[in-house]
Amino acid sequence: MRPLKFFLTLVVMLCSLLAVYAEEDAAVREKLARAIVAEGPEQPKLVGELGDSGSKLVRDVLVAWTRDNVFLYDAAGTKIPVLLEDQTDADGKARAINIADGKFLLDDKQAELRFAPNDLTSVDTDATLRGIIQVTLDTLALADANPDARQNAVLKLGNSKKLKNIPVLQARLGKETDPAVTRAINEAIAMLQLDDADPKVQISALQQLARLKSIGSLDMVKAIAENKTAPPQVVAEAKKTVSTISAHIGAVNFFGTIFRGMSLGSILLVVALGLAITFGLMGIINMAHGEMIAIGAYTTYVVQNIFGSGFAFSVNLPFHFFGHPVGFGLSVPGMNATGWFYESYFLFALPLSFIMAALAGLVLERLVIRFLYRRPLESLLATWGVSLVMQQLFRMVFGANNVQVSSPRWLQGHFTLNDVLLGYNRVFVIGFAVLIVIGTWMLLTKTPLGLLIRAVMQNRDMASCMGVRTARVNMMTFAFGSGLAGLAGAFISQIGNVGPSLGQSYIVDSFMTVVVGGVGSIVGTVYASVGIGTSDQVLQQVTGSPVTGKIVVLVCIILFLQWKPGGLFSIRSRSLD
Amino acid sequence: MLPKTKSREIWVVLAVALFVIFGLPAMNAFTSEGSWLHVSNFTITVYGKYLCYAMLAISVDLLWGYTGLLSLGQALFFALGGYMMGMYLMRMIGDLGQYHQPIPDFLVFLGWSTLPAFWKPFASFPFAMLMAVLLPGTLAGMFGYLAFRSRIRGVYFSILTQALTYAACLLFFRNSLLLGGNNGFTDFKFILGHDTREPATQRDLFIVSGIALLAVYLFCKWLTTTKFGKVQRAIRDSENRVMFSGDSTANFKLFIFILAAIIASLAGVLYVPQVGIINPSEMSTDKSLEAVVWVAVGGRGTLVGPIIGAFTVNAMKSWATRAYPDLWLIFLGTMFILVTVFMPGGIIGLPAQLRGVWQKRIVRKRKLEAEPQDGDPGETIETAKIK
Repeated sequence: MRPLKFFLTLVVMLCSLLAVYAEEDAAVREKLARAIVAEGPEQPKLVGELGDSGSKLVRDVLVAWTRDNVFLYDAAGTKIPVLLEDQTDADGKARAINIADGKFLLDDKQAELRFAPNDLTSVDTDATLRGIIQVTLDTLALADANPDARQNAVLKLGNSKKLKNIPVLQARLGKETDPAVTRAINEAIAMLQLDDADPKVQISALQQLARLKSIGSLDMVKAIAENKTAPPQVVAEAKKTVSTISAHIGAVNFFGTIFRGMSLGSILLVVALGLAITFGLMGIINMAHGEMIAIGAYTTYVVQNIFGSGFAFSVNLPFHFFGHPVGFGLSVPGMNATGWFYESYFLFALPLSFIMAALAGLVLERLVIRFLYRRPLESLLATWGVSLVMQQLFRMVFGANNVQVSSPRWLQGHFTLNDVLLGYNRVFVIGFAVLIVIGTWMLLTKTPLGLLIRAVMQNRDMASCMGVRTARVNMMTFAFGSGLAGLAGAFISQIGNVGPSLGQSYIVDSFMTVVVGGVGSIVGTVYASVGIGTSDQVLQQVTGSPVTGKIVVLVCIILFLQWKPGGLFSIRSRSLD
Repeated sequence: MLPKTKSREIWVVLAVALFVIFGLPAMNAFTSEGSWLHVSNFTITVYGKYLCYAMLAISVDLLWGYTGLLSLGQALFFALGGYMMGMYLMRMIGDLGQYHQPIPDFLVFLGWSTLPAFWKPFASFPFAMLMAVLLPGTLAGMFGYLAFRSRIRGVYFSILTQALTYAACLLFFRNSLLLGGNNGFTDFKFILGHDTREPATQRDLFIVSGIALLAVYLFCKWLTTTKFGKVQRAIRDSENRVMFSGDSTANFKLFIFILAAIIASLAGVLYVPQVGIINPSEMSTDKSLEAVVWVAVGGRGTLVGPIIGAFTVNAMKSWATRAYPDLWLIFLGTMFILVTVFMPGGIIGLPAQLRGVWQKRIVRKRKLEAEPQDGDPGETIETAKIK
C-alpha cells in the first residue's frame, strides 16, 4: 500500500509541475522525447545535451525517469514516452501525458486514453545511464535562474566527495556571472580536490580553501589534518588551513554576536525610550509600560488581519442582564489584499500602533496617573494593577496563546556580509531605532512642545506659575512615551512572539536600561541599551546559555550601580531628593 | 487618644488569635463532620496558608509602611525559606519516591546516583531551619549593604529588588541548580516523623503558623514603639533630616531589610508543608506585588492592616477564581488601582478617611452659609489651575 501511496504523491507533484510548465518550449520537449526513446550510444549523448536546456520540465522528467515513472506507449510501432497523471479513476487508471507535446494521449475516437502503471512498460535505465542523468540533473541545477538555488546545487556537489563532479563544476565556472556563486564553485571544486590522489593537487586545494576562508570545508580539512596516512606536507598544509578557517569562524561569530547585540539593543532602546520619557522625565513608574508594548504588537496583528481576511472577536462575561448574557465583541471585515498591498500592511501598522498605544496612555494618564504625580511609589502599584487588567483583557480578546504575526516579505530573508548573517528585520530595527531616537531628541530639544515638556519635568510648580498648562503637558508627554512603547511593540511582533504576557519579558530589562543610562537622560538610555544588548548577547555566547547570561547581566548591573548610583549620565543637582 | 486605641487593638488581636490558634483546630478535631461547628480539613489548610501570607504581608509592611522601602523582593525571601524547608522535606521522603532511590526523584531523573554535597546536611531539621534564617538573611544583608551604601532609595530600590527577584527566579528555573528546576519540590511525605498528609499534622502546622504570626505581630508591635521604630518612621517621612541629625540611615534600613527578609523566610518555611509544593513561580515579582496589594488593601503603616488585607484579598481570590476565573485578575487589578488612588489608608484607614470627608463637607457648608454670594475663593483658584 505504502509504495503505491508514495508513487501517487510523486506523480501528484510531477503533474502539478507539468501543468505549470505546459507551455514549455516545444523544441525542448521534442529533444527530451527523442532522448528517452533513443537507443544505444546515441542516448547518453542526447541526455547529456539536455543539461544546457535550463528547463524545469527536463529536470522533472529526468527525475521521474530514474524512478521508473516514465512509460512508453506503443502507438502502432512508434514509441511515445508518456507520464501518467496523478488523478486516477475507480480502476486505478490515469490519463497519460505525451512528453513530446505535453498533451493527453487520445485514441482514434479522440477519447482520452487511460492506463494503470502496470499497463505500460517503464523506460529502462542502467547504471551508466543513471549516472549520466545525474550529471545532467546537476548541470541543470547549476544553471538554475535563481542564484540561491545555484549556490545550493554547488554546495551539494561540493559535499558529494565524488571527483567526477569536478568537470561539471568547472564547466559551469566558465559561464557563471554571479560572484557569490563563482566563489561557491571555486570552494566546491577545492573541496572535491581534497580527495585527489595527487598531493600537489591536494595542497593547492587546501591553499585555495584557506584563501576562501571556507567554513563549510572545515570538517573535511580537519579530517585530513588528523589523517595519519596522508603525506606529511599535505597534513602540514591542512593544519595551516584549519587554523585560518577557525580564526575566520571566530571573527564571524564575533561580528554576528555584535550584530545581534546591536539589534537586541535597538529593540531595548525603542522599548526603553518610552520609559525614559515616562519614568525618566516624569518620574512615573509605569508598570503597564509592557502592556503598551503589547498594544502595539496586537495592533500590528489586527492591521495584518484587516488587510487579510478580517478580524473579529467576542467576549462573553459570566453575568446576565435580565436574562440576556452580557458581553462585547467586534468584527471588522477584511480587505483580502494580496501582493504588494498586503505586504505593505506593516507600514500602516507602524503609525497605528503608535496612535493606539498613545491613546491608551492618554486614558491611563487621565484616569489614574494624574492623581499620583507626587507619589511615585504609588504610581508603581496602581500601574501594576492596570497591567494586570490589561493582560487579562488581551487574554479575553486575543486568546491566551500567542497570535501569529507574519513579517512582510521585504523584512524576511537576510544577506551575508563576509559570512556574517544579517537579517533584514534586524537591520530594519537598527535603522528605525536610530530614526526614533533622532525624532525624540528633535522633539524634546527643537520644538515648542519639547520646551514645555522639559520645563514641566524639571519643575512642575514653577512651570505652572509661568503659565504652562502642566496638566496638558503631562498628558501629552505620557501619551508620547506610551506611543513609543507601541512602536516598540510593532517591532517586536516582527521578531518574537506576540502573546498576552509579551510586555512582562521586556519590562525588567527596560527599567534596568533606564536606570543604568541615568534617569532623565535620553543619551544615557541609548548607550545603556546598546551596552546591555551587546553584553547580553556576548555573555550568552560565553556562558553558553541565555538564562545564565541574563543573570550575569543583572548582577553586573546591580554592581555597576554601586559604582555609579546615578547611572551613566546622571544629572548633577544640588538638591537632595 | 492614640495609646488607648493601640492597647484596645492588642486586646482584640489577642482575642482573635486565641480563637484562631485554639478554637478553629479544636472545632476541626473534636466536632463531627455534620455539625455546624465543624471546620473541615480543607478550611484548616487554606487558613493555615493565609496565616503564612499574613506573616509575609507584615514583613512587606515593616519595610513599606514603616520605613518607606517598597521591596519587590519579599517573595524571593519567602520562597527561599520555602526551598530550605522543601529540601528538608525532600530528604525526609527517603526512598519512598517513584524511583525508590535514596535521593530525590528529580536528581535521579537528571542522572545523579549519589546526593550532591550541599543536599546532605538538609536531613537535619535544625540545620534546615538555620539555613532558612541564614540564607535569606545573608542575601538581604549583602544586597541591602550594596543598595543602601550607594543611597539607592525610593523607586530605584523597588526596581533593583525587582531585578534581583527576576534574576533569582530565572536561576531557580534552571535544572543545573539541582533544586528541581521548574517543577520545584513536591510529593512531601514526612515532617519531623509525622505524615504531612494527615489532618492532625496539618492542624499542628496551623497552630504553629498561628503562634508564629502572633509572635511576629507582637515583636513588630514592640519594635515599632521603641526608639528604633521612631527612627524607622522618621526615615520614611524624611530620610535626609534623619541623616542630618546624625543617625546612619543605611544601618537602620539594613537591619530592617534583613529582619523583614527573615520574617518572610519563616512564613515560607511554614507555608511549604501546608501547601505541599514549592517551585520558582513563587519567587516572581508578581507574587511580591501581590503581597504589597494585601498590605495596601488592609492598610499600611499599621500591623493589623496587613493581616486583614492578606485574609480579605486571599479569601476573595479563592472565591473569585472559582466563580469568575476569567475576571479575577481584572477584579484584583481594578481593586488595587482604586485602593491606591482613592484609599491610601486601606480598610483600616477607611473610617478616618470617611470622617475626614464628612468634616470637610460640613466645613464647606458652613462657609457657604456664611458668605453665600461670593462662592468659595479657594475653589476658583483650584479650578483655574486645573484648566
